[in-house]
Amino acid sequence: MSSCKPFSLDLSADQSALPHYQPPPCQVACPIGTDVASYVGLIWAGDKEGALEAITATNPLSAVCGRVCDAPCEPACRRTKSDGPVAIRALKRWVLDALGPTYKLPPVQPDKPQKVAIIGAGPAGLTAAQDIALAGYRVDLYEAQSRPGGMALWGIPDFRLPASVVQEDIDRILSRCPGITLHLDAPLGETVTLDALRETHDAVLLAIGASKGKNLGVPGDDLDGVIDGVSFLNRINGGDRPILPAHVVVVGGGDVAMDACRTAKRLPGVKKVTVLYRRGPDEIPARKYELEAALAEGIEIVYGVAPTAVEEANGGLSLGCVLTRAGAAGTDGRKVWTPVAGSEFDIACGLVIAAVGQKTASLELAKHGLMDGNHIATREGDMGTRLDKVYAAGDAAFGSSTIVQAMYQGHKAAYYVVAALEGNAHPVPYRTPYRTRAVPVAQDPRWEILGLAEPPFKGISGDGFSDAEANYDDQTAKEQAARCYRCDSETGSADYSVKMREAIFAMARPDTKPADVVRLTSERLAMRPHEPRIGRATFDDLVFLPANLTRLVIDPYREACKTKTPLGEGLTLAQPMLVASLETTPDVIRSAAAAAIASAGGAHIGREKLGDGFPWLQIVDAPNAGAPEAAAVLLRITKTSDLAMPKALRRGQLRGLIVTPESAERALPFAVEQNADLIVLDGTGHLGETLADLSGAPDLSLMRRAITILRGLKAEERFPLVWFGGLRSGTDLAKAMSLGVNAGIAEVSAALAMGGTIDAAGMSFPEPDAQKAEAALAAFLKAAVSECSMMARCTGKTDVHNLEPEDLRTLSLAAETATGIVMAGLKRTA
Amino acid sequence: MVTIDLSTLPVRDANEAIRAAAAAGEDIEVVNPDARHHIGVGLVAPVTVHVKGSAGYFCAGLSHGARFEVESNVGWGVGDSMYAGSVVVGGNAGAIAGVALRGGEVVIKGNLGSRAGQVMKAGTLLCCGNASFLAGYMMYGGRIVILGDSGDRVGEDMSGGTIFVGGKVENLGSDAKVVEPTAEDLADIRAFLDRYGIAFGGTFKKIVNAGTKLRYGVNEPISRPLPHPVFSEGETYWNAKVVEDIHAKSLIGRYRIRGYGASKPLPHFGDIALKVDPARLTPTQDALDGVNLAMTLGDRHGAVPLKLSMPVLIAPMSYGALSKSTKMALARASRLAGIVENTGEGGMLPEERAEASQLIYQCLSGRLGWNIHDMLKADALEIYISQGAKPGLGGQLMAKKVTKELAAIRGIPEGIDLRSPSRHPDIMGADDLVIKVEEFREATGYTKPISIKMGAGRVRDDIKIAYKDGFDFVQLDGLQGSTGAASTEVLENVGIPTLAALQEALDGLKDIDAKNDMPIVMMGGIKDGVDAVKALALGASAVAMGTAAIIAGGCISCMQCHVGNCVVGIATQDPEHEARYQTEVQAQAIARFFEVVRRQIAMLTKALGHSDFQQLSRDDLVALTPEAAAITGLPYDPTYRAASAELLTKVA
Repeated sequence: MSSCKPFSLDLSADQSALPHYQPPPCQVACPIGTDVASYVGLIWAGDKEGALEAITATNPLSAVCGRVCDAPCEPACRRTKSDGPVAIRALKRWVLDALGPTYKLPPVQPDKPQKVAIIGAGPAGLTAAQDIALAGYRVDLYEAQSRPGGMALWGIPDFRLPASVVQEDIDRILSRCPGITLHLDAPLGETVTLDALRETHDAVLLAIGASKGKNLGVPGDDLDGVIDGVSFLNRINGGDRPILPAHVVVVGGGDVAMDACRTAKRLPGVKKVTVLYRRGPDEIPARKYELEAALAEGIEIVYGVAPTAVEEANGGLSLGCVLTRAGAAGTDGRKVWTPVAGSEFDIACGLVIAAVGQKTASLELAKHGLMDGNHIATREGDMGTRLDKVYAAGDAAFGSSTIVQAMYQGHKAAYYVVAALEGNAHPVPYRTPYRTRAVPVAQDPRWEILGLAEPPFKGISGDGFSDAEANYDDQTAKEQAARCYRCDSETGSADYSVKMREAIFAMARPDTKPADVVRLTSERLAMRPHEPRIGRATFDDLVFLPANLTRLVIDPYREACKTKTPLGEGLTLAQPMLVASLETTPDVIRSAAAAAIASAGGAHIGREKLGDGFPWLQIVDAPNAGAPEAAAVLLRITKTSDLAMPKALRRGQLRGLIVTPESAERALPFAVEQNADLIVLDGTGHLGETLADLSGAPDLSLMRRAITILRGLKAEERFPLVWFGGLRSGTDLAKAMSLGVNAGIAEVSAALAMGGTIDAAGMSFPEPDAQKAEAALAAFLKAAVSECSMMARCTGKTDVHNLEPEDLRTLSLAAETATGIVMAGLKRTA
Repeated sequence: MVTIDLSTLPVRDANEAIRAAAAAGEDIEVVNPDARHHIGVGLVAPVTVHVKGSAGYFCAGLSHGARFEVESNVGWGVGDSMYAGSVVVGGNAGAIAGVALRGGEVVIKGNLGSRAGQVMKAGTLLCCGNASFLAGYMMYGGRIVILGDSGDRVGEDMSGGTIFVGGKVENLGSDAKVVEPTAEDLADIRAFLDRYGIAFGGTFKKIVNAGTKLRYGVNEPISRPLPHPVFSEGETYWNAKVVEDIHAKSLIGRYRIRGYGASKPLPHFGDIALKVDPARLTPTQDALDGVNLAMTLGDRHGAVPLKLSMPVLIAPMSYGALSKSTKMALARASRLAGIVENTGEGGMLPEERAEASQLIYQCLSGRLGWNIHDMLKADALEIYISQGAKPGLGGQLMAKKVTKELAAIRGIPEGIDLRSPSRHPDIMGADDLVIKVEEFREATGYTKPISIKMGAGRVRDDIKIAYKDGFDFVQLDGLQGSTGAASTEVLENVGIPTLAALQEALDGLKDIDAKNDMPIVMMGGIKDGVDAVKALALGASAVAMGTAAIIAGGCISCMQCHVGNCVVGIATQDPEHEARYQTEVQAQAIARFFEVVRRQIAMLTKALGHSDFQQLSRDDLVALTPEAAAITGLPYDPTYRAASAELLTKVA
C-alpha cells in the first residue's frame, strides 16, 4: 500500500540528501516540490508518459496547473537571468493536453475504518481528500456549489482555464480514490453542520476557500453597478453572458482584477475596460504574463489612481478618483502611496468591478468561534484549529493565495490528519519532500542558444471564451525542454560537484549571514574524502610529468612526434596501436576494420586473418597451428599450458608468446631462452577469447613483473613487448609504453568505435555499416596515435618510443604497487 | 645628443639615463656597447639611439617610436615586441630577430638567425642577406622580406602575414604556400627598400599561409557532460563516459576538447582535515578581529609589492576564454575584496585595468596582446610557462571566440582556431629565462614584481630554477586547475595533483635552503576558505581561485566553455550571449563570495588558536587517506573527526 501513497505524504521519500542530487531552485520554489527538472528532461527525451508521472506525482491538479499555475518555479529558474526562464508551466500543459484526458491510475480502495470530512472541493480540499483517501481512509467531501473545483472552476474564466480541464483533474482524483464520496450542493451550516460532522467523522478539514469578494470600501460601493470581482467571475463562469455597459472600470491589480477585466472585455456591449491600480507598475501583483495579455487585448491600465466614491450620474456611474504618489518605504518594505491633494477627478462608466481582495465568511464557523477576522484561526504548525480534530487549509485558513499554495496546504493538512488518525501525536514536522527521477541531461547541441518561446497568444477569438493561449507544437516543446540547465543533475567534475557548486552559490548569495557562513563552513569541514574506486589500479591512476623549466627538449617547436614502431624484422608499423580479434563481429565490420587498419599502417592480431595490406599476428593455442601467411605466430601460454615455441612456417615469420599474469614467471625466461621474436603481455589473461577486454580492468602489474624478470635475465631489450588490456585511448597506450612496452592492442575500444554497443551478451552492432565503421575506426586510430604523440610531446619527447617510466607518477598507492611508479609528492621510493 | 658609455655604466643605469635623455627629447649615442643585453629596452620616445658597435639580446625590445641604429651586430630578439619605430642593424642578427613585432621596421643589413619574426603580428622585418631556419615561424601578421635565401621550413605554421624571398626558397614549412606577389606588393617593397637606400634587382616569391591547419576539420559534437559518478564510482571499466569518448573520437579523428579541469577524483584538500573544533566557529561580528590576514607579495628583489587584504588572488583567466563583462566583474570584485586580478593570456583590457586596483599582466608564448604600455600600467608582470590544465601545451581558443575585437587586441587574424605555441620563442631553458626576467625589469625600471606561472610537473626541480632565475613569487597550478579549452586527455592525465605540487615545491626550496624565501601562490581546485586554510597550513604563502570565483559569478559548471555559446554569458564572445551577463550583479556576487572566504580563513585561523594566518602550520592538519598521507607526510588518521563535527554529521 505504501507505494500507492502520494509521495507528498511520505517524508521518507525525500531524496535531497542523496550525494549526487541537489533539489534545483525551481523545485524548491514549487510549494509542492514538483520534480520539474526530471519532467523537463523526460519531455526532451520523448518520454511523455514519464513526464506525466513526474508531474502528477505531487500535483492532483496538473491539468489545471498546466494552464493557470502562477508558476513560482519560473522566476526561480536560473535561466531567467540569462535569456528567460524555462517555460515550465507551458511544458506541463503540453504533456497534460496530450495525455491528461486519458490518464488514469488504478483505484486504491479504502482499507481503514476511520472517516474524514472535508468541507470544500477546491484545490486544497481535493488535494487533501486524495492524500487521505490514498492512505486508506474514507473521505466525505462536501461542496457548497453544484460542481467541484472551487476557485479553479468558479474564479478563473474559461478562456484561461476551460471547465473541462478542471473536470479532467477531478475525474482522475475520484476514479483513483473510490474512498472519496463527493456531496454537492452541500453548504456548511445548511446541509451539513460542523457539530454533526464531528460526531460522524474522525476528523474534519475545513477548506471552504475565500470566495467572498471584499467591497470597494468607499461611499456608494453598494450601488447597483458596483460588483465585486469574485461574484462577477462566478456569474460568468456559471455560463451567464450579460450585456454590459460600454465602459467598465476594474479596481485592483491582482490576478482577479486581470481575470475580471479580460472577461469584461469579452462580454457584449463592452467597448472599453479600464483597470485602476493605486500603486505603480513595479508594485502591481498581477503576473507579468496576465498583465501583458490584458494589454494585448486592448485593456487600459492606469497606475497611481485610487477610488474615493461612486455616484449615479447620467444613467450610469461616476467613479470619483484621486491620484496617488509614492513615498518612503513603509514597515513592510513596500512604498507607501498617498493621495495627492487637489488631484481629484471623475470617471464616467457603467460598471465598477471591485477586485480588491477576498475573504472567508461563514456564520457556522463564527458560531463555533473558529474565525479570526476574515480567516479561520489556524495553527501553521499542524493546521489545527481551536477545535480538536478540526483542521483547516487553503485560502480559508491563510488568506487568498494561489492554486499551488492551496495544494501545498492540502498536502500538509492531510499529513497531520493522517498522523492523528494513526495515533501519532508528534509527527516529524511537515516539509515538502524533494525527489528526483535522475533523468539524463538533454543532449541538444543548441541548448545554450535556444531562446524562450512563449506559447502563442491568441487573445480574444471565437465566442471570446475559447483558449487565449495555444499549446506548443511538439518541436517547440522539445526545444523549450532542451533549454533547462538541469541544476538538479550531478556535474561532470568530481571536484566541482553539484553540492560544491551549490555551496559556492550559497557563499555568494546576498542574504548569506554570518551564521550561514558558520553552517557552510562546518558542512565543508564535515565532508569526507571521495570514496575510492573499487577494483584494481587502472591507467587512470597514472599521470604524465610535463616538461616545464626542466627537461625542455632540444626541438621544442615541432608539433609532430615520431610514431614508427618496429616490432621485429619485417614487421615495422607506422604507429604503435594494433587492433585485436573481432572474429565474432559481423562480416561488414570485419572488412571495414581491415580497410581502416590498412590505412592506419597498423596490424591485426587474432585467430583468423582479417584482410590484406597489413600484417596479421596470428594467435594460436598449439605450437604447430600457425599459418604461413601470418607475419607472426603467437602461442598463448596460460597458467596451465605447456611451454613451447610456435613453429615458423616460412623464413622471416616471427615467433612469439602471449603471456598472462599467471604465466609470466614461467613463460618469460622460456621466451628468452628460446629467442622469441615478440612477446604479447596480456593483462586480461583472456586474449584470444571473444572480447577479452570486457573482463574489466587489466592487471597492470604484469608490465612491472615482466620488466623485472627480463632485467634479471639481462634480456630487457631482447624482444619487443606488446601490451593487451584495457586500452581505451592513445593516452592509455602512452602510459603502457612509458611502462616499458613497444606497442599496444585495442580491442573493445576498436569495436566501440565501429558502432558496437556493450550489452549482456557482450557486444552487438545494432546498425552495422561498412563505410561508417571504416571511417570510424580510422578516425579512432588516428585520434589514438595523436593522443599518444601529444603525451610524448607534453613530456618533452619527439618520439613516442622515448616515453619512459620516469615520465610517469601514480595517484594511488595501489597503482604505485602495481606499476612500481612512485607517487607524486613527498620524496619516496615505490 | 647625450653620450652613454657602457664601459663605465651598468646597463640598468644606462637605460635609466637613456630614458631620461629621451624624455628631454635628446638623441642618444651609446659607445662601447660591448654587445651588452637590453640596450634601450622599454624606450617609448621618438628619439634616435646610435649604438656604436654591437648590441646583445633584446636590443630595442619593448620599445615604441624610437629609431635605433646599430653599427655592427645584434644578439637574439632584436626589436622584441616593438610597437612602432625602427631598428637598423649594420651587421647580422641572432635568432628570433623581430620576435613578436607589433609594428615598426627592423632592417638587418647582414644575415638573420633562426626563427626570425616568430609570432610577429605587424610591421616589417627586412633581411638583406640570408635567413636561417624557420623564418616566419608561427607569425600572425606583418611582412618579412628576405633578399637572400629563405632557410629551411620558411613560414612554418604561419597563420597570417606574408614572407617575400628574393633568393632561393630552401623549402616551405608546414601549412605555408608560395603565391604570386601582386604589383602592389612589389611596389611597396621597392618603396621600403628605397627608403633605406637598399638596392635590389631581383624578383620575389611570396609565401603565405596555406589555410590547411587554421581550423579543426570536423567540429566535435556538442555534448553536455555525463555526471561524474559514471566514471568516478563503481568498477565499470568500460563505462558510459569511455564509450562516449570513443564515439566522439571515432567521428572527429582527434582528441576531445572541453573546459574546466581534471574531472576524475584525485588526492586533494578534501583528503586532509583541519584539526579544528567546529564549535569554535562563531558567527559573531568580531570574527575578523584579532586575526591578521593581510600580506604583501613580490618585493623579494626590491619591487613595489602587491598588497593583499588576505592571502587570496584571482587566478589568471584570459579575455578570450572569458567575456569582457566577466573580466570586468572579476576585476571589480578583486578591488572590492582588496586582492589582485590577473589578465591571463591575451592582453590587458582597458576596462579591466580601470576596474582592478591591482592587476598582474601575463606574458605568454604567443605574446598575444603583450606590449610595453600595458606593462607599465600593470602592478606586476608574470611569465607564463604552463598551467595545471594543460602543462606542456599551448593555450587553445576556438574560432567561435576569436572575434574581431579580440583578434585586434591580440594582434592575430580573426576566426582561427587559435593554438598558442607551447613554448616561448625566447625561453629555451633556465638561462634564457634569467635574461627574459631582466629584460622586463629593465623595461619597467625594476619597480614591478615579476612572477612565474607554472603547471605542476617536475615541481621539485622546476621550483629551484624559478628561485635561481630571480622571480619574486611563483604561481603554481596543480592538475586540478581549470581552463576554457583543452584536450580532455591533457586535462585528466598530465601534471600532478595540487597537493603533491605544493609538497614538492616546498621540498625543493628546502633542498636548497631557500625555504620561505620565495612565496608560492598555490592554485588548482581551491574552492573556498576551507581549502585555502589547508593550503596555507601546508605551506603555501597564498592561494589563487579561478573556477570558484567564476561559479560565484554565475557559472553553472556545464563545462562547455570551449563551445563559445556560454549560456550565462561568461565563456563567450558572442554579443547576444555576453549580454546575458550582468557585470555589476555578478561582481557583487563574486565580492560577497570573497568576503565569505575571508571570514572562513579568519574563523578557522582563530579557531585553530592563531592570531595570524602565517601561524597556520602542518600541525593543524591530518591526512584522511593513505594517499594524502603519502603525498604530504602528514599523520594518517582515517577516523579523524573533530568531536562536534561528528555530532553535526549525525544530525544531518
